[in-house]
Amino acid sequence: MTNAELNRRAFLRAGGDAMKASCIALSFPAVLTACGRARQAHLAGDDFTSLSADEAREYDAIATRIIPSDDTPGAREAGAVYFIDNVISDAFERQRQALRSGLADLQANTANLYGKAQFADLSPVQQDSLLTQSEGTEFFATIRFLVIAAMFSLPEYGGNKNKLGWQLIGFEDRHAWAQPYGFYDSDYLEKGE
Amino acid sequence: MAQQQSSVTYPTREAVDFVIVGSGAAGGVIAKELSVAGFSVVVLEQGPHLKANDFKHDEWSYDYNGGLIWGSKQGHPQTFRKAANQPTRPAEAALGYAHNVGGSSVHFSGNFWRFRPIDFKEASVRGSISGTNFADWPITYEELEPYYTKVDWEVGVSGLQGPWDPPRTRPYPCEPMPIKGSDVLLERAGKKLGLNPYPAPVAILSQPHNGRPACIHCGFCNGFGCEVNAKSSSMATMIPLALASGYCELRTGCTVSRVSTRDDGKADEVVYWNAEGEEHAQRAKAVVLCANGAETPRLLLLSASAQHPQGLGNSSGFVGQNLMFNGYTSVVGLFPEPVNAYKSIPATRVIHDYYELDKTLGFYGGGGIDGRHYARGTPLNSALMSGMFGGPKWGADYKRSLEQEFTHTAAFDGHTTSLPLATNTVTLDPTLKDKWGRPALRCTYMDHPDDLATMKFFFDKTNELMEAAGAIRQAGSYPENGQEGNVHLLGTCRMGNDPANSVVDKYHRSHDVPNLFICDGSSLVTSGRGQPTMTIMALAFRAADHMIQSARRGEI
Repeated sequence: MTNAELNRRAFLRAGGDAMKASCIALSFPAVLTACGRARQAHLAGDDFTSLSADEAREYDAIATRIIPSDDTPGAREAGAVYFIDNVISDAFERQRQALRSGLADLQANTANLYGKAQFADLSPVQQDSLLTQSEGTEFFATIRFLVIAAMFSLPEYGGNKNKLGWQLIGFEDRHAWAQPYGFYDSDYLEKGE
Repeated sequence: MAQQQSSVTYPTREAVDFVIVGSGAAGGVIAKELSVAGFSVVVLEQGPHLKANDFKHDEWSYDYNGGLIWGSKQGHPQTFRKAANQPTRPAEAALGYAHNVGGSSVHFSGNFWRFRPIDFKEASVRGSISGTNFADWPITYEELEPYYTKVDWEVGVSGLQGPWDPPRTRPYPCEPMPIKGSDVLLERAGKKLGLNPYPAPVAILSQPHNGRPACIHCGFCNGFGCEVNAKSSSMATMIPLALASGYCELRTGCTVSRVSTRDDGKADEVVYWNAEGEEHAQRAKAVVLCANGAETPRLLLLSASAQHPQGLGNSSGFVGQNLMFNGYTSVVGLFPEPVNAYKSIPATRVIHDYYELDKTLGFYGGGGIDGRHYARGTPLNSALMSGMFGGPKWGADYKRSLEQEFTHTAAFDGHTTSLPLATNTVTLDPTLKDKWGRPALRCTYMDHPDDLATMKFFFDKTNELMEAAGAIRQAGSYPENGQEGNVHLLGTCRMGNDPANSVVDKYHRSHDVPNLFICDGSSLVTSGRGQPTMTIMALAFRAADHMIQSARRGEI
């Protein structure tokens, strides 16, 4: 109960808050055209539709800290940056500006604290420290939302490559299931309850 | 098997027997009943006619890009405020509904509880509640029961008569759905606490019925359209029959701007923009509004005229008032073994022991509890909420939460009553406009203190159940500061015998406009316990029955 009391405020709105805090959620026109482009971009190699190579490297570095690669693949292996590229290409100019200025702020902090131009060139510990400082910003909320959206949306939107995101959480996208779905209903059927 | 195209085209300048605005839970049923009875019917639906093979397991589109529920990007902005003296803010789909043929019956969870005898006469039994419009219905459960049974058999419902269920004249047509792990945990916990869990009634087929196939348990029900037509939406069940009758023309992409009246005060045509944006007007002998509890009152308010200065059918001032959402609570527990609640339908067991809370508690309320996945089984929503037991929201430890929480959790949800209040309303926003230039929907809503107390009660009970279920950790929430939107849109054109405090009579006919009928969530006098669609469909069958009889007697 103590745990429930502590967490109930934060809990139910978490999904909604993630979207609200993000400047970009609920605002993408024509996502399906973006997914068509995603396929073409992949076929053509590593071209990005809207991100510069430097921006892509930075977003990839941030994504890798949000869902790191360790004993299992993370956001980098799932190609989160391709999803982000697609979504940004369909965002409003105002939103693109907000992201650019957010990234510029992060890079300014990178330079001030560590004397390097690019966030991607910092160590993981340094990166985590900078991201922790920016946790309350719209920029961080937006990037976190986009990385998670990249990881768990249909692969045709550019991320979740080889369904790596779904594998991470144990989601199998099958069209049909039959009992038993898991341990408890299996046990229930076995015991004839 | 199913007819999907209109086989008849009516000229707009000749009056059809009925024009129906909206093709959802109510509109689909009424369109089918009237057209099969041989009346000429035009259905105006603002959304597209999506069918089973149009739907995908595509959370990004449906939940984040307005795939079914339109928002400001599609030109349908809304605003919300807690009270008339509180600030108004833009709100995406605070009054949420699906924009497609079949309406929200396409993307709903399929939970299909009947209301019970008490729901129709609770104000008499409990006594009135000061400061509210809590009232008895003008009809009884017994009057509605034959139509509940019609829904069971014609629309298709799976279930098993439970210990607290109201009397029924026929058994369910389909056996209950197979139990899920989340509901095994709920059932065992409920029994441990001396409660009576039993199979949840759902508008999802457990076996083939009326030419439609059984559910394949893909898990994408709530928020999605069924890809095999096993969910008993009006799109899958009623619209094909209406179209096959040869008397129903379904016009999609048509947004209604107003209902026009003649000098004698009767409705004579419905004005709308078609998919190309051209204005048309369909003449009709009678008009039936089934646009849902938000759009129906909005349309009546937009149809104000010299004869109807407060809005059409609004001499009572009750159009748009008494908005009821139903309350909800959710508690999530972490379990040692895989639950996999993301598979199959949302809920397979329900606990209805708290349908009517004891009066000695000091507040009014009641509800039901079911077992679910905490985020409808959807990967992205689930991931956004992960770390719910106090863990971080990014980084290596967040990743550990992701690995556990999607598969190893069960949620116990409460679904509860809302009281009808004059201050909870659907009105026209004074400044914001939609893409057609119409005033946007403005929602004003604050849960009554009794509604919040009821949610607290269910939150505590579901926490107790979760402990009894053996959860390793638990977390949860309910909207303790009041809800700021919902998908249950109820009570805004309530039915009643007294024209001074209701909008339609017991047969859904406007007290003010004799050839105007209104039937959808707006007709409800009280909120029920959280699953209104079954009752909306039963009311629609009953309303259509009386429309047919009146029309045959020449009384429309």
